[in-house]
Amino acid sequence: MRRLPDASPRGRAITVDLEGESIPAIEGEPVACSLIAADEQVLARSVKYHRPRSPYCFAAACSHCLMRVDGQPNVYTCRTPARDGMRLERQNAYPSAKVDVFETIDWFFPRGLDHHEMFAGVPVAEQVMAKVARQLAGLGLLPKEPAPTPPPARTLRTRVAVVGGGAAGLAAARVLADRGVPFLLFERDGHLGGRLAHGAPEADAPAVPEDSTFPKGSILTRAPVLGLYDDEDGRFLAVGAWEPEGPRLLKVYAERFLLAPGGHPPMVPFENNDLPGVYSGRAASLLLRRYDVAPEVAALVGWGPELHALANLMQERGVKVVAVVDLKAAPPSGAHPTAVQGSEPKAHGLRRVGAFSYTAKDGGRKKVDCDAVLVSVPVSPSFELARQGGAKVTFDAGRGLFVVEADADGRTQARDVFAAGDLTGGGTAKEAGAAGRRAAEALVGGLS
Amino acid sequence: MSKAMICSCEDVTVDDVRHAVSRGFCDVESVKRYTGFGTGICQGKSCLAAVASLLEQEKALKPPAVVPFTPRPPLYPTELRVLATAPVDESQPPVGGVPQEVDAFPPALRPEAPLPAKAKVVIIGGGIMGLALAYNLAREGETDVVVLERGYLCAGASGRNGGGVRMQWGTPALVELARRSIDLMKGFARELGINVWLRQGGYLFLAKTKPVAQRLDRNAALHNKFGVPTRIISPDEAREIVPGLTLKDCLTASFNPEDGVIFPWPFLWGYAQGCKKKGVRVETYTDVTGFETSGGQVRKVKTTRGDIACDTVVLAAGAWSPEVAKLVGVPLPNEPHRHEILSTEPLKPFLGPLVSVLDTGLYFSQSMRGEIVGGMGDPKEPAGLNMGSTLRFVSRFARALMEQMPQVGHVKVLRQWAGCYDVTPDNNPILGRTPGLDNLLQMSGFVGHGFMMAPAVAERMAKWMATGESDELFTRFNLRRFSEGTLEREDMIIG
Repeated sequence: MRRLPDASPRGRAITVDLEGESIPAIEGEPVACSLIAADEQVLARSVKYHRPRSPYCFAAACSHCLMRVDGQPNVYTCRTPARDGMRLERQNAYPSAKVDVFETIDWFFPRGLDHHEMFAGVPVAEQVMAKVARQLAGLGLLPKEPAPTPPPARTLRTRVAVVGGGAAGLAAARVLADRGVPFLLFERDGHLGGRLAHGAPEADAPAVPEDSTFPKGSILTRAPVLGLYDDEDGRFLAVGAWEPEGPRLLKVYAERFLLAPGGHPPMVPFENNDLPGVYSGRAASLLLRRYDVAPEVAALVGWGPELHALANLMQERGVKVVAVVDLKAAPPSGAHPTAVQGSEPKAHGLRRVGAFSYTAKDGGRKKVDCDAVLVSVPVSPSFELARQGGAKVTFDAGRGLFVVEADADGRTQARDVFAAGDLTGGGTAKEAGAAGRRAAEALVGGLS
Repeated sequence: MSKAMICSCEDVTVDDVRHAVSRGFCDVESVKRYTGFGTGICQGKSCLAAVASLLEQEKALKPPAVVPFTPRPPLYPTELRVLATAPVDESQPPVGGVPQEVDAFPPALRPEAPLPAKAKVVIIGGGIMGLALAYNLAREGETDVVVLERGYLCAGASGRNGGGVRMQWGTPALVELARRSIDLMKGFARELGINVWLRQGGYLFLAKTKPVAQRLDRNAALHNKFGVPTRIISPDEAREIVPGLTLKDCLTASFNPEDGVIFPWPFLWGYAQGCKKKGVRVETYTDVTGFETSGGQVRKVKTTRGDIACDTVVLAAGAWSPEVAKLVGVPLPNEPHRHEILSTEPLKPFLGPLVSVLDTGLYFSQSMRGEIVGGMGDPKEPAGLNMGSTLRFVSRFARALMEQMPQVGHVKVLRQWAGCYDVTPDNNPILGRTPGLDNLLQMSGFVGHGFMMAPAVAERMAKWMATGESDELFTRFNLRRFSEGTLEREDMIIG
């Protein structure tokens, strides 16, 4: 990965401290992005086999970018804005994450390590193993100092709580604003738009509206929703809002919950899918579109329309695309010239991606050199809050995903929970927007 | 080394999932627990759909049986100091809880194979009590046994507890049972071929009020009489055992270095596998719907998969026991009480013992994986089967823990859940024959500590059942005592 030569300046140039080394960074951008742009790929070691890891999802949905930041363990560096002088340390490695002696565990157990049965009942070995395992377990260290007290929690009441500021959530918010229904929208990221802002571009996608076009104070960004709870006063969202003075807990009671949080970039199991240099497709488009950071030579693998749109986006921005392997179907018209249908993908490299191989449907095993493998598949719907709220979640075997059961207007099994967008079945951003609008209209109709 | 990761937080590979299936763990909840997928920092965000698809593609599960594991709050790792700010009205009882999961098993998970038409012994409840009893019965030579479990193994309190095991009790009977249990736990891997990760880091009880301090004093003397090396120590000595502990208002402490923590789940798998090897049937996703009785005897157990005629029925359904007993017209005095618990991000070892403040019901320990696992009883918790999670609990717990260990403020909570204590009026179990229904045996009422008692209780109960030799345990803790009024109260309950 590198910062593109035509990168537009997006913030103040600063440095962060990576284990004593000064690394150039851009103030305010995710510090993981600055690190990989500076060619610091290995940010972590995995918990069991000490495999080297670099950021995969850029969506707080994996663990590849966790570092010790200013003395705090397990911080998502993909969500942490870079600050001048910020101290970053890699975890779970000895003597260093680059050369970690415990990496040998990975080599000693090529077929995996069964902690249930290993040395079970073997005198002495069993006790020794338990002692060693305890020392090896755990990621990060207990902070040395007491934490400062965060700002006090705030209780808010609104008629409609919207979760997610992507295509569906924003379209719903527009309906609510137009009808004069009080609402609060919670977006996890620092910017609105979801995939509109950082996914692969889609034809007919709506534009991302400015915050200022909504009633003042109704849109909260950097406000991840932690749970849909209930108590003596009714149902509420717990929100961890990032404010300048620190993280503030919000309890948000609402009459209706419109859930449109989108989905998580999933892991796609193939050999070495965790090698540094393997990125989710959403991470790749985010890095390119928002921070002008991209690989030099990329292989793409996955399925669905986003895969092919991403390949074209990469190509347009000067990334050399050497392979696009669709694991489910023949490439559609307009797909990248290298696109083929294939199977058995595999990433190659010792501590970072150096090549990618696959079996082409009409041909044998192919191998291409590259410095990144981009894995683009439809996101896994983030059904957690809907399930907590009592909605039914079912498995869509055809797509291999869990979806929230809802009617065309987003009504779920729970009277006050509506769902839209990726949650109920995916589709294009335009379709998600339409679903968001329908859900908002249906929900307004039910409010007395 | 080439590996195909399916859950990269916990380094679980595709082969690990296949291995779990080959061991008989096919449903998503069981595969999660056996492989550890979805239990790391991301809590399943990036791996759950991939595992579910793999299980479906490889025909371990039919599509309607593919249900996600329960999504537990918080959705993103959240610092204890932030959760601690949630307002709590201590004067009011807790209300609600999410997600509701008491009746969450879809019928598609029910096995299709028929149940045996008859069995000598039917054990209701596939928690540690029922499974340990079945295994011990088989060891005694009785293998015509069927264990019925309404969910997956670990669905009830046996899969939801904090894994503490201690000998520090207030009555001789429990001290002896616990000591025997810990001995059996030490040999568990040798006997059943699965690691249970017993770590004897001790239990450190803190007392903040005079009556509790006196109780610790009195009980330490009792422990010593039974050879348990409990020591009464000063707050300064306690701080040496747990550096960083604040001991404000702490009057005294008691410490037994031989208490410890275990990893609960492998006990169930180990006993279940041991049962199956000896020919005992363990039937999951099978609900008991009723009984057939005549002549003061239970003749048949009715289930969602047909009836089983039997000679003896054992009720080992934990907090569900009163509900099941009601089906046969037996009123039990037990009441279910929700207890909430949480687990944090895993950290390198910093905490040796399980620490408990007996006055408030706070307890916390560090698991083998490095997570802080802890809970705190809520004095206002109403009776009822409820396994939902509340923000109130995480807030109360976070405050109490930070008061005891201020440097945990930045530590992030990964998940919270709840289980039900099976509470009896005298905090002691109900064991033995049921008055009026001679072949219905009770094995419940362990008030949150059944897990650590089970290996020893099951051993004695199996012997008692198989040999017919009398054992005072089954008269002392018989259901009769509640009508006869001979109650001896256990006072070392946490929460």
